[in-house]
Amino acid sequence: MIKKLTLGLMFFATSSLFAEPAITAIKVSNSIDLSKTKPNDAIWSRAKSSTIICYPQTTIKFNDKKANELNAQNKAKAANISAIYNANSLAFKITWNDGTQNIQLPQKSDTYGDGVAVQFAQKFDDPKKLPYIGMGSKDREVLIYLQKAVEKYFEPNKDIEHQVSRDNTNAFGNDLKKYDAAVKALAINEYHKVFVGEGFRSMTQVRSDYGKLGMDMSYKGGKWSAVFTKPMSDEYVDISKVGAIPASFALWDGDKLGRDGLKYLSSWVAVKFQGKKGGDALVDELTSEPTGDVQAGEAQVKAMCASCHRFADQNAAPAAMGPALYNIGGYSTSAYLAESIKEPNAVVVPGYNRNAHKNFSWYSVDDNGTRTTTMPPMMSDDKSIADAVAYLKTLKAEVEK
Amino acid sequence: MSKRQLAMVMDLNKCIGCQTCTVACKTQWTNRNGREYMYWNNVETYPGTGYPKKWMDLGGGFDAAGDLQEGIIPNIEADYGVPWDYSYDSLATFDYTAGNEKAGLRPTSEPTWGPNWDEDEGTGNFPSDNYFFYIPRICNHCTNPGCLSACPRDAIFKRDQDGVVLVDLDRCQGYRYCIAGCPYKKIYFNPKISKSEKCILCFPRIEQGLPPACAQQCVGRIRFVGFLDDEESQVHKLVHKYKVALPLRSDYGTQPNVYYVPPTEAPAKFDAEGKVIEGSQRVPTEELEALFGKDVHTAIKILKDEKEKRAKTGESELMDLLIAYHHSDMFRLDNNYYQEFAKESGKSLLAPIDERYSSGKNTKEITHFKVHA
Repeated sequence: MIKKLTLGLMFFATSSLFAEPAITAIKVSNSIDLSKTKPNDAIWSRAKSSTIICYPQTTIKFNDKKANELNAQNKAKAANISAIYNANSLAFKITWNDGTQNIQLPQKSDTYGDGVAVQFAQKFDDPKKLPYIGMGSKDREVLIYLQKAVEKYFEPNKDIEHQVSRDNTNAFGNDLKKYDAAVKALAINEYHKVFVGEGFRSMTQVRSDYGKLGMDMSYKGGKWSAVFTKPMSDEYVDISKVGAIPASFALWDGDKLGRDGLKYLSSWVAVKFQGKKGGDALVDELTSEPTGDVQAGEAQVKAMCASCHRFADQNAAPAAMGPALYNIGGYSTSAYLAESIKEPNAVVVPGYNRNAHKNFSWYSVDDNGTRTTTMPPMMSDDKSIADAVAYLKTLKAEVEK
Repeated sequence: MSKRQLAMVMDLNKCIGCQTCTVACKTQWTNRNGREYMYWNNVETYPGTGYPKKWMDLGGGFDAAGDLQEGIIPNIEADYGVPWDYSYDSLATFDYTAGNEKAGLRPTSEPTWGPNWDEDEGTGNFPSDNYFFYIPRICNHCTNPGCLSACPRDAIFKRDQDGVVLVDLDRCQGYRYCIAGCPYKKIYFNPKISKSEKCILCFPRIEQGLPPACAQQCVGRIRFVGFLDDEESQVHKLVHKYKVALPLRSDYGTQPNVYYVPPTEAPAKFDAEGKVIEGSQRVPTEELEALFGKDVHTAIKILKDEKEKRAKTGESELMDLLIAYHHSDMFRLDNNYYQEFAKESGKSLLAPIDERYSSGKNTKEITHFKVHA
């Protein structure tokens, strides 16, 4: 009894502890080339690590039966993330526990590499209108840095002469060795890619040397550590003139056949540049706790949303009827949730291929490609919306120990 | 759905299981670069395990309500079979003086399974009631493709001009949901390039007025190729006019565009004394119904009636079609159609990339492909 009381008091006294964390990027010397940073470099000891929780993506369910079974009971994963920056670049180091090191192999069809990604918002001047967390949304594009553990892979159709199996060549002895060396030289040994996205299914790879900069990951003692470095300013996202930016993080577990949307995903997290002014509104927005009444919100959400959405113990809606909300509180911002309730058409992301579940169109598309959601505006008064958001923010898996 | 649909009809009465189609396809497309284990065209013995193993039980396709179904993704070792090979190097470096028990020419991996591992086994007791027939299988270029619906990257598209289903290798990221989504397991993961690949209906040949390699090379002349809406095409006649060509497992809901003339010409069963049991069906009709649906009964009747009519009167357009006198009649590809389409739409032929992305605003360079003008 006393213990409970103490906990209650503690909650009141230190509620800020329960707020969403931010990441502070520590300033380092401009003479350091951050794009060459490795996860184990000494410079990271100067950085300050924050614990960011990545929640299992459950908004849509994929059609890989085995993977769905393996991921049915997923808990959230904690990642330790730190950041450093200088005038040229911003670098993140992400460390997370993964009991199994999974590497995608070039001769196997059933291997999936562990992976990690950082997502940047192209525009973030209005912290209440950040891109949709799942790879952006129309007119709110994102830039995604992705790396995966692969042994090696090849690009298609580059060198037809060296495409046949070594056993199908007429070569042997030294000629075969030469052939092997030529094939080896064509291999790409790292999966480092950059994508631009404006919603699920839209992700398109940036095809230039741009993405080859500054990524690395290494596995040791049951932990992955990865580094991403982004130029402070480039043609996609300029973060050089602000005091803080939003970023989000995703993890893939190859052991559970993780790839694409089968991942763990954080919400937008505020990254504050140490010693730089500005961005306070963004930091406040992303670190503040919802103010609404959770219980009132729960009653409303259960009454109004459960016929189309599945969440918590509410599984009455047909599976593909609407996006599932089981972990929506984990990876969505309060502002996004409020916006979607009040104005569902503000962000209409491409969901499933519309052909996959023809009877459950999440939206209609006109000739110009404009999507109109099937969801009507649900609430209009601020109190109800705040309560609903407060409840929705509680919808998330517990964190893996 | 595309504006027009190319289709293929295969006459199973005439397939002799020679695998010439398989080889024609393999040497043209899949003998290299991570595709070695793939058979965009294979000929399997039915009843049999199939390729990949038990593909009919692996899910995918759509239920009656039109919802994409979960599927199981087969893997190379267990379900397709690792393609083994023999190398000159093993011969050249082999020590013939060491008294080895095994020969110098050895497979690079121990053979455990392959696309025609159980060829000609079939079922039943020889000679009284055993049976089997061949089913050559390519991608069905479905009107409602399971692979396309499953792709979370919009990397699979169906061409408007002929309904050929293609993978945009630039967008494909090797997620493999397409394989779970295809009930025929006719799209494959290429582990070397980490992308999915599949039968392209030899579109570079088709655009030049040539039939797909598998159809051209077929020694039994079992394959007809043409547009379904072209009333002059033999494909149209077999599918729509005579209704003797039926899709395989249409219950998967993908509306496949490869059609089969069911095997009707098996010999009767023998009794214990080795005498013919008149009127007996060696290939059980229920099996055919499971493969080709209820319409198979009508198709069988039409085939039998026309055969009888031909025997009595010497006349039957259907029997003439199935005899397949001339390649020029069996393949109606109408070369000019593609040339005109390219001119009208301003698109270049031989561009295996979805045009939706070739002018995409998001990338500066679209692809590693060399696009031929």
